[in-house]
Amino acid sequence: MTVELDAAPAAKASTERVAPTGRWPRLRGTLGVLLTQLVVLAAFLAFWGYATGQNKTAAFMFGSPSAIFKFLSQMAVDGSLWRDTSVTGLETLLGFFVGNCIGTLIGLSLWYSRFVSRVVEPFVIALGSIPIIALAPIIIIWFGTGLTSKVAMSTLSVVIVALVTSYKGATGVDPDQINLLRTLGASKFQIFRKLVVPASLTDIFAGLKLTVGFALIGAIVGEFMSSSEGLGHAIFKAGSLYIIPKVFAALVATIALALVLTFAVGKIEQLLMPWRRQLQR
Amino acid sequence: MTEVSGTMQMGPGAGAGPVPPLVVEHVAKSYELDGGRVVPVIGDLSLTLREGEIVSIVGPSGCGKTTLLNTLCGLLAPDAGRIRWHGREVAGQPQNVGYMLQKDLLLPWRTALGNTMLGLEIRGVPAAQAEDRCRAMLDQLGLHGFADHYPSTLSGGMRQRVALARTLVNEPEVLLLDEPFAALDFQSKLLIENDTVDLVRKGRRSLLLITHDIEEAVSLADRVIVLTKRPTQIKAVYDIALGDERRDVISVRQAPGFSDYVRSIWTDLDVVLQ
Repeated sequence: MTVELDAAPAAKASTERVAPTGRWPRLRGTLGVLLTQLVVLAAFLAFWGYATGQNKTAAFMFGSPSAIFKFLSQMAVDGSLWRDTSVTGLETLLGFFVGNCIGTLIGLSLWYSRFVSRVVEPFVIALGSIPIIALAPIIIIWFGTGLTSKVAMSTLSVVIVALVTSYKGATGVDPDQINLLRTLGASKFQIFRKLVVPASLTDIFAGLKLTVGFALIGAIVGEFMSSSEGLGHAIFKAGSLYIIPKVFAALVATIALALVLTFAVGKIEQLLMPWRRQLQR
Repeated sequence: MTEVSGTMQMGPGAGAGPVPPLVVEHVAKSYELDGGRVVPVIGDLSLTLREGEIVSIVGPSGCGKTTLLNTLCGLLAPDAGRIRWHGREVAGQPQNVGYMLQKDLLLPWRTALGNTMLGLEIRGVPAAQAEDRCRAMLDQLGLHGFADHYPSTLSGGMRQRVALARTLVNEPEVLLLDEPFAALDFQSKLLIENDTVDLVRKGRRSLLLITHDIEEAVSLADRVIVLTKRPTQIKAVYDIALGDERRDVISVRQAPGFSDYVRSIWTDLDVVLQ
């Protein structure tokens, strides 16, 4: 018997982009977005430079783009830019990794027992509501002033978010899909491995992107408390000496670090979830 | 036209024939609401599915058809009565039973092939062997060349075909289908119905099809069971005798008598138009 296929693959239709309309149709594409972003940034810097150029007090209080650039290149030449950025980057990465591993493992495994997850819930909410900054002095006492205390701060800022997002992913699995696997004879562990974990990936990655920033905040707050290197240290030191452009220069490096880490998480997501790339194409 | 009375007699030692794959005896099931109120869903239901037989169950909406199906495949425990698979009561999920719903329930991170392999993978069939069987099954269902596509790139009809392949590749002796074709357009529906019946009959499998589509029920089944409103009982049973034209779910709709069955079942369902 010959079977006629019911319809062409649905994706064919969705790959055809609707042509942008409006006054500047070409500006709506990816390149257009990038160009517009650059224009906005340039306008902001130009205004900043102009305003601080008019007034010495303003230049002292707010720095100027040219002064910030001067400090950035100076820090690059004397090597402190790379050293501070790599120190903070390492702290952030370790905290991000440890915090997400612990949080995700606990969050996913809570799927196993409704009882345990109900017992744990108020404790998670309580721990999640503690401002991490409030813990910083104790963390320094416990873990010293070196790398470990910053990683601990970073881990703590990440772990609850990772736990909540992965638990949400695990419990959001369609019960019909669980029933289907049960009728196929799957054990609870098989359901966990073949269904719950991959189905939670979307939420887990949403959590990962969110926690890049949290891990960085944790590391920098840790450096504020007590440190001899790192971007937080540089910001704190420049701030207490009233060298405001240098504060901004270190902030620029911090932003760059956050952007690089977020971009890397996005790339890993694409690698691990190829079916979503096919969906968006 | 044959109309059999409500409950059917099928005792343990009925006849010398082979043991039917599925016997349901006086099953009842109710739900408890939050306020402690008990809502009976299935009143008293008995039915037998014989080997190689296709039985359709139709009933008014909300009559507990899905509850019945979930009870049959062991996802819910009945309050009373017995469900025997091949003559034995089983705890948990029965073996060799395929289950398919209106939702295709394909896993978006697996390709058509990966989804089809799910059951064999769970049972520990070696990957190479499982892959060969699954590719052959997908080919048989007209999905040649789509094995490596993700579900998001397939049409609704093709996705349901993958779901059917996932069910059939486990070679279930009994298929329990809950409105599997309801979401498809008419043309896709007829084609996939035809393939389903074909594969079920060729493999001497038994099929229990729950549907609200009376024409679908009559065109596919050897027997149609009509249910009452909740608490569900059997209202009528029709043995569908439409002769040779039954071979094809499309031409059977032209058979004399087809519309008589449809009309009587329609009357049984007692649909009140507002």
